[in-house]
Amino acid sequence: MNQILKNALLPAMLLAISSGTYAAGEHGGHHGSDSVGEPGKAENVSRTIDVTMMDNYYEPESISVKPGETIRFRVSNEGALVHEFNIGTAEMHEAHQEEMQMMVEHGVLKGDHIDREMMEMDMGNGHSMKHDDPNSVLMEPGETREIIWTFAEATDLEFACNVPGHYQAGMYGDIDFE
Amino acid sequence: MKKRMLAALFGGLVSMAVTAAEYDISVDRVQIDTGDFVKEGIGYNGASPGPILRFKEGEEVTINVTNNLDEMTSIHWHGLILPFEQDGVPGISFPGIKPGETFTYQFPIVQAGTYWFHSHSGFQEPNGAYGAIVIEPEGREPFRYDREYVVQLTDKHPHSGDRIMRNLKMSADYYNRQQQTVGDFFAESGEKGFMAALQDRMMWGDMRMMKADIEDVQGFTGLINGKGPEQNWTGLFEPGERIRLRFINSSAMTYFDVRIPGLEMTVVQADGNNVQPVNVDEFRIGVAETYDVIVRIKDEKAYTIFAESMGRSGYARGTLAPEEGMTAEVPELREAPLLTMADMAGHMDHGGMDHGDMSSDDMADMNRDDTGGDDMAGMDHSAMGHGSMDEGDGASMPEDPFYAKGSGLVPTASNGGKFLSYADLKAQNPLYEHREATREIELRLTGNMERYEWSINGIKYEDADPIVLQYGERVRFKFVNETMMTHPMHLHGMWSILDVGEGKWNPLKHVISVAPATTVYMETEVDAPGEWAFHCHLSYHAASGMFRKIVVEGGPDSTVAEGKQNGTPGGES
Repeated sequence: MNQILKNALLPAMLLAISSGTYAAGEHGGHHGSDSVGEPGKAENVSRTIDVTMMDNYYEPESISVKPGETIRFRVSNEGALVHEFNIGTAEMHEAHQEEMQMMVEHGVLKGDHIDREMMEMDMGNGHSMKHDDPNSVLMEPGETREIIWTFAEATDLEFACNVPGHYQAGMYGDIDFE
Repeated sequence: MKKRMLAALFGGLVSMAVTAAEYDISVDRVQIDTGDFVKEGIGYNGASPGPILRFKEGEEVTINVTNNLDEMTSIHWHGLILPFEQDGVPGISFPGIKPGETFTYQFPIVQAGTYWFHSHSGFQEPNGAYGAIVIEPEGREPFRYDREYVVQLTDKHPHSGDRIMRNLKMSADYYNRQQQTVGDFFAESGEKGFMAALQDRMMWGDMRMMKADIEDVQGFTGLINGKGPEQNWTGLFEPGERIRLRFINSSAMTYFDVRIPGLEMTVVQADGNNVQPVNVDEFRIGVAETYDVIVRIKDEKAYTIFAESMGRSGYARGTLAPEEGMTAEVPELREAPLLTMADMAGHMDHGGMDHGDMSSDDMADMNRDDTGGDDMAGMDHSAMGHGSMDEGDGASMPEDPFYAKGSGLVPTASNGGKFLSYADLKAQNPLYEHREATREIELRLTGNMERYEWSINGIKYEDADPIVLQYGERVRFKFVNETMMTHPMHLHGMWSILDVGEGKWNPLKHVISVAPATTVYMETEVDAPGEWAFHCHLSYHAASGMFRKIVVEGGPDSTVAEGKQNGTPGGES
């Protein structure tokens, strides 16, 4: 694809990403039994779960939580590639994978590198490629980050890496409600 | 096949126990029933394909091969890294295995993944002498699955290999059923005018090639694990499972375009080496390549594994099903692609001419005939090879950096989705530190179609000196394909690092497919002393001269000494 075409596509892609992640992070949050929960407050944290991201799998491969529980996830990327830790339903992950595929196609996401500068770029209409949803962290090798998340009632949730191909290779795990 | 597991001590110097496995393989005359025809052939342990050999990374294997034929035989362990005396190429690694004799191979398994084995003697491989190798890794794999199947493809022909070679030598188009006819010519004349059509024909005639020269050997039945399309090899699954399919192309001559309609496939391995996962709808598997894919099937229904030959003259078909006997629709073969002027650019000027020099107008005109079939409008290849050559017009003109610009061979997915390109392959976990190559060796892939002679730098194997490499160097091979055929180049004993422009992430392969009129680079860390074969893996191209011996000089002291004792060069160099 030539450069002109690429640039022309960029705003459309940004729009898609922001609306998509909004749905993933916020919309899904208040629909009764479909609720994925919401960003939690530090003072409510009941425990910390360490999650290690390897190429291309998690340790542990499943996580147990209680309805209403607030958990601090301390996530480290010990692999050699970029990985994501994202809390959501299988459908949300699927939608997010399409967005991340576009990030790869436009050079924002390389195998072991995230072009943060390009992600931060202001496209003039309030959109950027920021990957800053509260339910997700996208990390380069060697990074460690935290997510504090308050779960709602029991529902079918997965934690997953939506870097293209990683989910399909098996980089996801179940969140079981006790 | 007996597999005896023993714990044993090896080599005296190695103090730790190594797992060892022992295998017995007999080389036998067998009957091969494709559903279309029954043919006498050669197999292992009484069947073709032979057994799936399951090795473990880190173990030492002993394989006793007994030759029950009345001719010499050999087994080459395709893609395995091993001492050269164990590589199984008569005249290079060893003398071969005489009738009635047993040869014992012994080597450590230093890798994991999907590979295969086959005879390297005469045309025994196309006659049925092949099987699969699956090596379980020492550590955890970068993907997971609930079950796995080997899906080994071949292009079984009713004629024996010797007969096919004789016929090709007699007439290179003997097996080409898709030649353009006088009728086609008049149809073309009607479309673009008599003179233009005539000129087009004369140009192709000058090259002794035809636009339909994509598969030199047609008339085969595609097999999956030894079963023809009607016999329908079936792999069972439970809904919800993730299934790893280990595709191996053991064909003599045929590239396949593989898809499973209704399922996305995630490619996780190429030629036995893990790659960063890529989701695709379809992929092309060159002769002797392997691709491992993972599919996840959620519903309780059957899916067809459909492998169409690149020239669309045949196909292999199998099924993934929740129950034996369930089937899914088998797609029609798509329209055969035709080569374009872009595909012959390398041939016209023997590498001196960049195909980019051709003006867009010329290209567009020359390729117009590709739209010939009325029913092709809006379909896959009708989108190829014609239309605007403008760079920005990506929608109507599929591109792949591993095909000539405007090539008729650029593949497109039947559902309009993603077709795997070499450019998508990136190592999951690079084996070697990336470094500059120490030197470059140019290999022009050359041939004379009319005489059915295939060669490298214009010289056939029997007339060529070996290529001499030094242990410890990193060589950059430049393949320049000056022919109009696609050549899957296979280097024995050392990895072929395909240059996809990703530096340290460039993938390791053992076969590098080079499309017509393209230049493809691969690099090799010369880390295996001894003498090795290097050839086009199309059986009849290798046999007619597109083949070289590689000699690696130097090496760790112990190995050099060993090489002097055991390394008696064969007479074929």
